[in-house]
Amino acid sequence: MENTGYNSYINKFDGLMEKYIPSKSAWTPADEALYGPLDLFRVPLEEAREMQLRSIRYSFTHHYENNKVYRNLCQKHGFAPAHIQTTADLEKIPMVPDSFFKDYPSGREFALWLGNIFTGDLPRISIKGKHPTPDEVIEAFNAAGLAVTFSSGTSGRHTFIPRDRRTFFAAEYAIAKAVVAMIYPRWDTSWHEYLLMPDPRKTCLFAGKAGAVFFDVIHDVRVAIGREVSTELIRMTMTGPKGMKGRIVKYFAGRKSKRMIAEIIRWLEFHEMSNEKIFLFGAPFILSRVIEKLRKEGRSFSFGDRSWVGSAGGWKAYEGSRIPLADFRNQVEQVLGIPEKYCLDMYAMVESNGCMMHCPEGHYLHAPYSFFKPLVLGSDNKPLAYGEWGRFAFLDAAALSYPGFIISGDWVRMLERCPVCDRPGPVLDPEIRRAAGEETRGCAEEVRRMLAVDLKNEED
Amino acid sequence: MLTPWEIVEKEMIPPAHLIKKNIASTCALFKVLLLNPGFRKRLKRQKDNKIYVRPLRKYALPEFKPGMKNLSKSEKYLRPTLYCNCRVPEITALAHQLGAFTKSGREFAEAAFEFSKRNITIEMVPLDDVSCTLIRGTGTCLQKIAVFVALCRAAGIPARFKFCALSRLDDIFAASLKNAPLIKKWFDGMGSFLLHGEGEAFIDNQWVTADISSGPQWQAAASLPITKLGESSVGLWIFPVPGSSFVRESVPLGMGNSSRILFKGLLASSLPGFNLGFLEQIEKGRKIIAAAGGEAAYDAQARRLRHPLAAKGDLLRVHSSIVFEEK
Repeated sequence: MENTGYNSYINKFDGLMEKYIPSKSAWTPADEALYGPLDLFRVPLEEAREMQLRSIRYSFTHHYENNKVYRNLCQKHGFAPAHIQTTADLEKIPMVPDSFFKDYPSGREFALWLGNIFTGDLPRISIKGKHPTPDEVIEAFNAAGLAVTFSSGTSGRHTFIPRDRRTFFAAEYAIAKAVVAMIYPRWDTSWHEYLLMPDPRKTCLFAGKAGAVFFDVIHDVRVAIGREVSTELIRMTMTGPKGMKGRIVKYFAGRKSKRMIAEIIRWLEFHEMSNEKIFLFGAPFILSRVIEKLRKEGRSFSFGDRSWVGSAGGWKAYEGSRIPLADFRNQVEQVLGIPEKYCLDMYAMVESNGCMMHCPEGHYLHAPYSFFKPLVLGSDNKPLAYGEWGRFAFLDAAALSYPGFIISGDWVRMLERCPVCDRPGPVLDPEIRRAAGEETRGCAEEVRRMLAVDLKNEED
Repeated sequence: MLTPWEIVEKEMIPPAHLIKKNIASTCALFKVLLLNPGFRKRLKRQKDNKIYVRPLRKYALPEFKPGMKNLSKSEKYLRPTLYCNCRVPEITALAHQLGAFTKSGREFAEAAFEFSKRNITIEMVPLDDVSCTLIRGTGTCLQKIAVFVALCRAAGIPARFKFCALSRLDDIFAASLKNAPLIKKWFDGMGSFLLHGEGEAFIDNQWVTADISSGPQWQAAASLPITKLGESSVGLWIFPVPGSSFVRESVPLGMGNSSRILFKGLLASSLPGFNLGFLEQIEKGRKIIAAAGGEAAYDAQARRLRHPLAAKGDLLRVHSSIVFEEK
C-alpha cells in the first residue's frame, strides 16, 4: 500500500483495535492474512492467493487435528491436509452446510453438541440444572470465556456458532476494518453512530454482539434496541407469540420498540443542528421505517457529506416485499440527504468471520479475499465459473474454533472483479437471494420481526 | 356400536395428556372466538377471498369383485378399527390392485405407502372412514395414514398408528395459516398442534415407520427430502412436544366428533383458506421439483444438503470440560 494517507488512517484504526489483534509474535498464517493487509480489499492478487492458500491450509489442518467431528467428515471424503498443495486444492476441502449448525438437540445434550463441534480445548464449563435452556447453556459457555452467538430463520430454529474469544475478535475486527477501509477517508472516532441493532451487551444475537466493536472505534454510539434479546424472545417473535407468556413478553418488549423510531428521528434532528458527522449502521428495516415516517410527515434532512449509512443483516430476508437496494439508497438520499455513494450494504452471516462490503463506486459486494475464499456452487456442489448463479459457500481461515468451510442457503453470482471500481478481488452481485426452498433468515429479519408488529401499531 | 371391551382392546382410549391437551385447546379456541366476534363475522362475509375448490381425485377406484381375498383378521393390528375399516370393498379392491398376495410384505407396504402418500391430497375435513377418504381422494394426515394402515391390514400386514403433538407449526403450515387468520390465532393460543401422526407396518419382524401425511410436492416446498418407507418425519419436519408421542392400534375415540364440530361448525369459515394454503404449498413444491430436474434429482439434492455430517455419538460425546450440576 503506497498511499501514506491511507496508512496513517488505518494505523490509527489498528491502534484503537489493539485488544482485538493478537501479539504479532503469535500470529498464525490466518492472522497474517487478516491483520496483515492494510486494506483487505486491495491486496495484490498474487500476494492474496499465497495468503489465502497458507491461511486456509493452516485453518484446515487445525480443524482436522483438533475437531473429531470434522476429521471424521474429512476421512469420509478421503481428504487430508497433505492434499492441499495449490490454491485449486482448496476447492476440494469438505464443506459443511449451514443447516448443520441448526440441527442441535435440547437440554444438556445441546451443551455436549456445542462442545463437540468446537475445535480445540474447551475451558471448564459448568452448566446448572437438569434441563438447561439454550440461553442458559450459552450463558455458561460465555461465562467460561467463549463467545457463542446465534441467528435464526423463520422456523424459529437457531443457528449456533461456538467462537472462542480469538475467533470472535477476528470477526469483529474484520467487520470494522471492512467498514473503515471501504469508507476511506471518512471514518473518524469523533463520528456519532446510531447502531440499528440490539445492544451488544444484552444479546448473543451475532449481528448485535458483533456490533460491540463500534464502541471501540467511535466515541459516541447509541443503540436502537436496548432490551435484552435472548433466543427465547427471538423464538417467540420469529414464530409468533405462543401462549400467555409469549404475549406478555411481546407486550412489554413492544412498548419499548414503539418509542424507538421517534428517538431516532429526535437524534437526527439534534445532529442536523449540531453539524456533527453521523453514521447509521444496522438493520435496514429500522431505517426504512424512519424514512417512511418522515415521508408521511413530509419532512426531510440534508446531512450530505457528513453522514454515512451502513446496512447489515440482510435485505435477503425480504423475499416477500423486499425493497431493491438501489431504491433504498435512493430513499435514503431523498429523505435523509445522505448521498447514495455513502449508503453501503454489508453481507455477513453468523457462520462467517469475513464480511463482504459494498464499494461506494458500484455497490458490488467485495470479499476480503486474503483469508476468505468465496465460492459459488452448482446443484452438484461443485464450484461454478465466474458469472454463474449458484449457492454461496466460503472457506473462512479466520474461524479457528469451528470449521468455517460452509455452504450457505443464499443464491448469488460472483464476478472475477468489480465492473466499476479498481479494487482487484472478486465481488458478488449486490442482490443476494435465498436459494429455492430455503427458509428466510438473516439477523435483520429477526430484528424486523421483533419490531414489525409494534411499529405497525405505532403507525395505526 | 362400540362395546367397552372393544374400546379398551382396540386402544381407543386417548392418553391422559391428549385429553388434557384437548381440553386446553378447546378453551383456547373458545377464548379466540369470544374475543374476536367481529373478526369471525368478517371472515364469513369476506368477498375478496380466493375460492377453494377441492382437487380432483388423482386415481380411478378399482372395481371390487366378489371373492376378492382380504387377509384382515380379528387379531390385534390386523382388524378393523375406528375410521379404519380394512374390510370395505374399496380397500380390498385397491389392495389387490397394488399387488397384495403377489408381492412380498415389504414390496406391498411400499406400494401402499406410495399410494397413500402421493395420491390422497391433504385437506382438512372431518374425520371419516377410509372408504370415504378413498372415494373423495383427500383427507387429513390421520385419514391418509388410515388408508395406509387399512391397506396393510387387508394384505395381512399388521399396521398401527403413531401419534404426537407438534411443537412447531410455522414451517409447515405457513401458507395455510396466512390464509386462515382465525386458525392462526387459535394455534398461537395453543402453542402446539393437537395431533399428528405416522403409520407403522410390521415387516420383517420390525415396525417400519411410514411418513404418509406429506406428499412429495409438499415436502419439496419445505425443502425437505421426499421421505421413503422406513424414514421418519420426526426431526425432519416434525418436532413432537416432548412426552406427547404414543402408539395405538386405533385412532383415539372422540376425534371424529370433535373434528366434525370443529371443521363444520366453529372453524368452517376459516377452513377453505387453510386448505387453499395446502394447495399453494403443493404448487410451490411442484415448481421446485420441476426446477431441480425432476423428483429424483430434487430428492438427491435435498438429501445431499441434509445428509447428516456426523454420527450422533460423535456429536453427543461426553466432554470432560463440560460439567453438569444440579441447581
